[in-house]
Amino acid sequence: MNIRSSVYLRYVANDLRANKTVTTALLLVVTLSAFLMGTGALVMERTLGSVDQLFDEAKPPHFLQMHSGEYDVAALEEFAAGQPGIESWFIEDMLGFDGAAIGWERPSTGESGDFADSLIDNLFVTQNTEFDYLVEESGAIPRPAPGEIYVPVGYQQRYELRVGDELVVGTDAGTEHYVVQGFVRDGQMASSLSPAIRFLISEPDFAALRQAGGGASEIIVEYRMTDLALVGDLQRAYDADAAVPKNGPTVTYALARVFNAFSDGLAAMALMLVSLLLIAIALLSVRFVIRGTLEDEVREIGTMKAIGLPSHEISRLYLLRYGAMTVIGCLIGAGAAIAAAHLLTRSVQVNFAPAGFGALSALVLLAAVGLVAGIVLLTCWRVLRSVKKVEVVNALVHGSLLGERQSARRAKRQARRLQRTSVAGRFGTLNSRLAVADLRAESRQWLLIPVVYFLATVLITLPMSLLSTFQDPGFVTHMGSPEADVRADVQFADDVDAAGADLLAAMTEDHRLTDVQAYANVLYETTGVDGPETLRIAVGDHSAGSAEFLDGRSPGEQEIALSALNADKLGVATGDELTVRNQDGELTLTVSGIYQDITSGGYTAKMPGRVTAGAASYVIFANTTDGTDPEAVASEYNATFPDATMWPMQEYLEQLLSSLTDAFRSAAVLSLIFGVAVALLITCLFLRWRLSRDRPVLGALSAIGFSLRELAGQVQGKTVVTATAGIGLGVVFAATAGEWFVGSLIATLPFGLVSLTLLPNPWIAYLAYPLLLLATSYVGAVLLSRSLRRANTSDWLRS
Amino acid sequence: MTDRQATLECRAVTKTYVSTDPPAEVLRGIDLTVREGEFIAVMGASGSGKSTLLYNISGMDRPSGGQVLLEGSELTGLSDDEMSRLRLTRMGFVFQQAHFLGNLTVRDNVLLPALKAAPRDKPGAIARVEALLERFGIAHVAGHGITQVSGGQLQRASLCRALASEPAIVFADEPTGALNSSMSAEVMDALTQVHRDGSTLVMVTHDPSCAARADRVVYLRDGLLVDSAELGTWTADTAAQREDRLIGWLRQQGF
Ligand SMILES: Nc1ncnc2c1ncn2[C@@H]1O[C@H](COP(=O)(O)OP(=O)(O)O)[C@@H](O)[C@H]1O
Ligand SMILES: [Mg+2]
Repeated sequence: MNIRSSVYLRYVANDLRANKTVTTALLLVVTLSAFLMGTGALVMERTLGSVDQLFDEAKPPHFLQMHSGEYDVAALEEFAAGQPGIESWFIEDMLGFDGAAIGWERPSTGESGDFADSLIDNLFVTQNTEFDYLVEESGAIPRPAPGEIYVPVGYQQRYELRVGDELVVGTDAGTEHYVVQGFVRDGQMASSLSPAIRFLISEPDFAALRQAGGGASEIIVEYRMTDLALVGDLQRAYDADAAVPKNGPTVTYALARVFNAFSDGLAAMALMLVSLLLIAIALLSVRFVIRGTLEDEVREIGTMKAIGLPSHEISRLYLLRYGAMTVIGCLIGAGAAIAAAHLLTRSVQVNFAPAGFGALSALVLLAAVGLVAGIVLLTCWRVLRSVKKVEVVNALVHGSLLGERQSARRAKRQARRLQRTSVAGRFGTLNSRLAVADLRAESRQWLLIPVVYFLATVLITLPMSLLSTFQDPGFVTHMGSPEADVRADVQFADDVDAAGADLLAAMTEDHRLTDVQAYANVLYETTGVDGPETLRIAVGDHSAGSAEFLDGRSPGEQEIALSALNADKLGVATGDELTVRNQDGELTLTVSGIYQDITSGGYTAKMPGRVTAGAASYVIFANTTDGTDPEAVASEYNATFPDATMWPMQEYLEQLLSSLTDAFRSAAVLSLIFGVAVALLITCLFLRWRLSRDRPVLGALSAIGFSLRELAGQVQGKTVVTATAGIGLGVVFAATAGEWFVGSLIATLPFGLVSLTLLPNPWIAYLAYPLLLLATSYVGAVLLSRSLRRANTSDWLRS
Repeated sequence: MTDRQATLECRAVTKTYVSTDPPAEVLRGIDLTVREGEFIAVMGASGSGKSTLLYNISGMDRPSGGQVLLEGSELTGLSDDEMSRLRLTRMGFVFQQAHFLGNLTVRDNVLLPALKAAPRDKPGAIARVEALLERFGIAHVAGHGITQVSGGQLQRASLCRALASEPAIVFADEPTGALNSSMSAEVMDALTQVHRDGSTLVMVTHDPSCAARADRVVYLRDGLLVDSAELGTWTADTAAQREDRLIGWLRQQGF
């Protein structure tokens, strides 16, 4: 290090130490921005890394088709023979059981429980031999012996299961017992949004379980290709083949990968968005602090210029000062981001695979944090360009940063303003008139407060509004379901039709239940843009029109309503005709409207009518009468009807959306904390600087008879008023453009939500949060103006 | 002269700053009586505690010990609000720098204490202030911003501000300290005029020619008032003479 740079460094260190408050506040804001940006990026990278790691080990299929019921093996063999791109393929047999039919016991302690409260389909399978393995945490591919079972890690965590516990499955022929031998991760069904989960048992046990009855037979036809690029062709060919089974969803490798990463990466996206707002605040503060520092040190700058230091050298001194601070902040932020990302990806590491912190992680973190540092430094550099304009004489004699012409312009502006300002005005008290006069004269400085509070308001309300949207009972209408108190599903039964009819009869009879609505899910064939498609239609009375229609209305006679994703896939719009077929014949229907739905992957349809036979499943909705507890009704029905599952709607929603709401909740909590902390920090930073500049004037005002209480009141009034303006604008902005923006953003994600109107909780978003920020501004003002009281007033006059 | 009432009385006033190590005993027992209509100049070496004395006897700061009585009533026990009220109504201040509010005109700056003292009598306050501005020859620049007038005009405006609420006593801390000699004379003439009109003045100054305008000069050394000199009433003809006498006295004090 040469002498000059060591002198520079000493200068920088001294200076940072001398301005402790300002340095700390600025450092914190930069650190938080870097932290959030780094955490977001790292969580994304780590999640994708974990997914890829698991995909490496488990080798999930490149293309899969689910199906339940009868199918034609010969047709599948014929199909495969005609597809040269297929590397290997097989049919996986599965047995689906309702959660209530599976219990667990811990012989050592006598504890026990069941999976009745789980919404997820429980599928029993054997280990595959060619690909799509269920893998242990070590990466090993377990092959259970008879009597052993491997349980998905998701359930291990949720029900706190241990090796040695016993799983008991209720079948038609009594119970089957298995000993938990280990836990497995599942490349296909690891996503927290996955509607199913797989248990691994031995081949003889599987045969016995099938024999015992009670499980719903399902298959997955799985394909591995020689080249991933061929997946599209395969999928088209498969859909075009009328003979192969396809009444369930299809999934491609790419989609599974995105979906896996996405469902857990959502929090990361939210964090990054929040960090953008924080960066905006950081930039404003940096500008403000540098401007203020230059004004305070204008005489020193003048001196440096007078002794012949060129402008760019002086700028560099300052840049070094703030650059050091930025770099330190970003380093701390990056370090904290590593820890935070580790915490946030814990469940990802468990569900997918523990991905190591590799070179790529470091690179991603560096890029994210470097971006923050770059933006901050660029802003510093831009503000510091004004050093060039400083004129020696003006700096030394008048203590002004401005050149001759700028000073003249400013004087003219000031003179104009003076004409309009009068302390003898008619409105308000003398104190308030003084405060207003100061706000007007120093509006450029004070602007910082409303802008920061504006950003903070947006920052804390939007994630909260998003969260309350997904928690709102009215959100079901986004899911193509009516608003009801309970929901019952009949899916895993030997005779679905009979079980559905029994349940419906019982519910209709029940005086505690009203508005009972039954829907039968019937599978039809139709022709889409890319060839034949399977269409799952909910048949029942849709006249109540509870789903939120994007276009058109609920279906009448000879009409059908489609979910947005289905309408897209089938290439039809409202008013178009659609022909559907099944074993009973062919129907030509008019599309009455399009609604959005996030159930069944977003692919649903509605048709009026009444079906009592041949349905794949039944869903029955009902309201409870006043005073009836939906929870009690549900558990009563679940005990009486083992083939059905009834849910209190609220709980159903919570479970279905839990992975989303969890992500939004962390984002909402984090942004609340950061938003309020940063608002407070900037308030203190600003007032500290403001008060130190105003000291002589405050001293003079005190001398001529203004009490400290009045002077503090002026400061508090100015702070609260400007903050209120910012908060007010922030609320308006968040409620309009902000909600629109977030809604549109969510709608672009692959959920089936095509348009999302946020449903903020008005008490929180429009009252509690604004008041909280208002209180923050007041607290900041009180904290800082307290320093007025401690001083010897005359100190302010001596400087 | 001695039969006039005491406007301000200080008894054994001390001030110790504990923020320094060791604590700085800046005032070590000041006894001073300012009689009604009197003009006192406080002199002393730089750092001897002149400003500290001024601020501690005028209710700006609180003395560490001793008593200060304004028109017979104790100041030291008052709350900040009560003290502020007294500064507003009974005291006026002039500092080395005017410390005016940059966002107000000269007139509004002067009007501030007048309006504050009489919020219900706005026309009265305005009339009083206009008269003051007229009297000190700055009415023509009263509508200007504070950066558009000279230092001498600013200090005269500052004096107007001090007088605007008709105080019992005016404190001035080096009112000419930042001015050149012609502006300085301008301001001292104004102060002399104020004194002639019957106001009570306490002025801290460094400049013997300013101090020569006072009735009495007290000398502060190391936090103690060590001597005082009665000069009698100032007139323009005797000015040079008084100044010489004062400088002689100051020499004895080691000035
Ligand atoms: N707030 C303070 N804290 C500590 N020491 C102070 C403070 N204010 C003034 N002093 C000290 O008191 C002494 C007298 O100061 P001052 O009254 O301003 O002197 P003068 O006005 O006679 O030049 C000086 O040594 C100064 O450093
Ligand atoms: Mg002094």
